[in-house]
Amino acid sequence: MTDKGMSPKSLSPENLSPGNLSIDNALHGLEEFLRDRIAPAIEDPYVSPMARLSAMVLRICANSVDDAAELRVEENAAIRAILGEAAPLLPASIAGQYHDAATSRDPGLKISILDAENHRLRVLLVTAQAVLEDGIGPAAKALDQRIWQLLETVEAKRAPRD
Amino acid sequence: MSSLEAQVAAYLAHRMPEAVGIVVDELGRIYGGSSQETFRFHATWKEGEISIDRRLILRRDATAGLVVAERDLEYNVYRALAGQGLPIPGVYFLELDAKWLDRPFFIMDMCPGKPGSPFVLTDPYDGHGTAIGEQYWSILGMLAAIDYKAVGLESLRNGAAPSGYWALELDRWEAILDENEALIEPAVRGAMRWLRRNPPPEPAKASIVHGDYRSGNFLFTEDGNISAILDWEMCHIGDPLEDVAWGLDPFWPITRHYPLDEGLARWEAASGIAIDRAALDWWLLFTAVKACVIWTTAASGFASGKNREMTMALSGIRAGHFHRDLILKMMRTRGAMG
Repeated sequence: MTDKGMSPKSLSPENLSPGNLSIDNALHGLEEFLRDRIAPAIEDPYVSPMARLSAMVLRICANSVDDAAELRVEENAAIRAILGEAAPLLPASIAGQYHDAATSRDPGLKISILDAENHRLRVLLVTAQAVLEDGIGPAAKALDQRIWQLLETVEAKRAPRD
Repeated sequence: MSSLEAQVAAYLAHRMPEAVGIVVDELGRIYGGSSQETFRFHATWKEGEISIDRRLILRRDATAGLVVAERDLEYNVYRALAGQGLPIPGVYFLELDAKWLDRPFFIMDMCPGKPGSPFVLTDPYDGHGTAIGEQYWSILGMLAAIDYKAVGLESLRNGAAPSGYWALELDRWEAILDENEALIEPAVRGAMRWLRRNPPPEPAKASIVHGDYRSGNFLFTEDGNISAILDWEMCHIGDPLEDVAWGLDPFWPITRHYPLDEGLARWEAASGIAIDRAALDWWLLFTAVKACVIWTTAASGFASGKNREMTMALSGIRAGHFHRDLILKMMRTRGAMG
């Protein structure tokens, strides 16, 4: 192995060999085979379109693999930041819970763990927003609007990639 | 005969003891729709000296569907609306005993024509968009004009309610969402709160609401006539603007084929009800919320393994995003983002 082969630059993601059989690469291969070879060969008028739909689902999944953890980590951080801002505007009975959530960390990097944490934070966000909507004052209104803006950002980032 | 064809033939023999020589063939599942499994088949038999030759449809409960459907609801609605001037199939047998085909089912006429998919880039109505649009609105107006008590449909959901249909429907869909939502969606929950804080006026008249009246859920013939309104699984009593708004949703907009104002005018003429545009706006947001709940149910059904139809997965992923994005756009126009 040459020095060049061990350089940090060659280990960066953009220099990863196109021959790397990553999960998304394999899924794309499956999708193409299903779409181009299997589906056209099926004569059953019910199964054939289902095979094409299966290929579409596979493509969307393949396109969401690579940055799945990053997307969730960033989303959780963004929600925590908002929860921290919400804490002083919420009733004392629940404010502490929001302070704790704002300083919490993702308990792991498995997608299932990040999703569970994401759900926990979202539940708190829903509760906070409902309280803010009933609140009076510019601070509550401004934060409510920022939550809606965050939801726009979240939805845009989670858009299925065909 | 295939196994299923033999089972259907045995069932027909059970229901028609006077029929002789029943043969069922050409049975095949029809692609599309995930609330119920739909099969077409051909049946022949003799009654005395008369030979009968029929093309029929079998609708069987799915293991887990897109919507929460009462199994005999669609059959009962078809029966009740027969003779009311609406293009609907005739129905024959409702079977709730699972011993025949594993799950409840009913048998109805196969109507002529084909559905026009709202999800294709080409013209789904083969150049008949204007004629289809005219009939679409007139038929929906006719449905709203029917006295649901007079046709025996007060047993439908909300049929005994004196008012508050919007709240009853919102409660229902929120309960379904609570039951099926794996990852809570704050945008959907926020839209639900907005709908509760800004209720629509009571409808001028409570009506039969189809519940899924839209492009793709009716058949049309080669000469551009709507031959059958289908998929009544979500039928209930309520505000007729619910159906008006549902068909306008940008996921399957009838306005792609027929101008909005002309369509609404046709509906008003046929129903005798004036449309309150502010109320319609409320129902448009409700439509997006209801759609989100349906897609959530689809995703849940697929994820649980109860229904592995790919339509369910794709609806959960793609359609779910579409309608959450639509909700956010609608909330922006309502000033939610400042």
